[in-house]
Amino acid sequence: MSLDDDIAAWAATVRLPDAEAAAIFQRITGTPAPAPSVPPFPPRLDPSWWRHFTADFTARMVASTRPVRQAA
Amino acid sequence: MDREAEFRRLYEANRAAVHAYFTGRTGDPQSAADLMQDVFLRAWQHLEKLTDMPEDRQRAWIFTVARNLSVDAHRHRHTQAGAEQALAYEPARPSQPASTAVIAAERIAVVGEAIRGLPEAQRVTLTMAAAGGMTSAELAAVLSVPAGTVRYRLSLARRAVAEALDRYDDLTEK
Repeated sequence: MSLDDDIAAWAATVRLPDAEAAAIFQRITGTPAPAPSVPPFPPRLDPSWWRHFTADFTARMVASTRPVRQAA
Repeated sequence: MDREAEFRRLYEANRAAVHAYFTGRTGDPQSAADLMQDVFLRAWQHLEKLTDMPEDRQRAWIFTVARNLSVDAHRHRHTQAGAEQALAYEPARPSQPASTAVIAAERIAVVGEAIRGLPEAQRVTLTMAAAGGMTSAELAAVLSVPAGTVRYRLSLARRAVAEALDRYDDLTEK
């Protein structure tokens, strides 16, 4: 018997048996998976929303105060 | 691929190496199985992060967790106790002609005893190569040492085992 054979024979005695490996797999996958991370609710507004909102509002106000051009 | 199938692929690709690593560290296959379960439980809990990684980084992540758990286990003297008992056996004292099966069992015990007596770095390296089926390059990657160091450790470890077997053969021939 070669040295490699002797070491391989020893390795076979310490290797995890397939049945035990399968049992460990089942135990692990039987535990609940962590909940996926969810974005904070309610979602935060984009910091620029107020600037856009006021600019839009101002534009509408200005437009609404213009005299309506009479049709010829 | 669903979550369990992805985890199965990861588990099957790494379980032998991780178990062999802990067997080398603790000397005890049963403690190694418990520690291996802890490693893969963490992998299961962080699977989304792992699936985004290439395979070599997945293995690196797994062995980082394994090393940390191994250190923790040492702190709790859990693995040390296992190492003391691991692979313990009564040295062969052949007094009468033994059957082939008995001789084979004794030779396995001699190998186990020799490996148990190795310095930890050699013990871990040899166990991972023999029981985990890992190449020198793979060992170098997960142990974070040069491949030359791995080969040197394997060479020293094999020499120690060979010497132990020579002593056993001398005893049985007398």
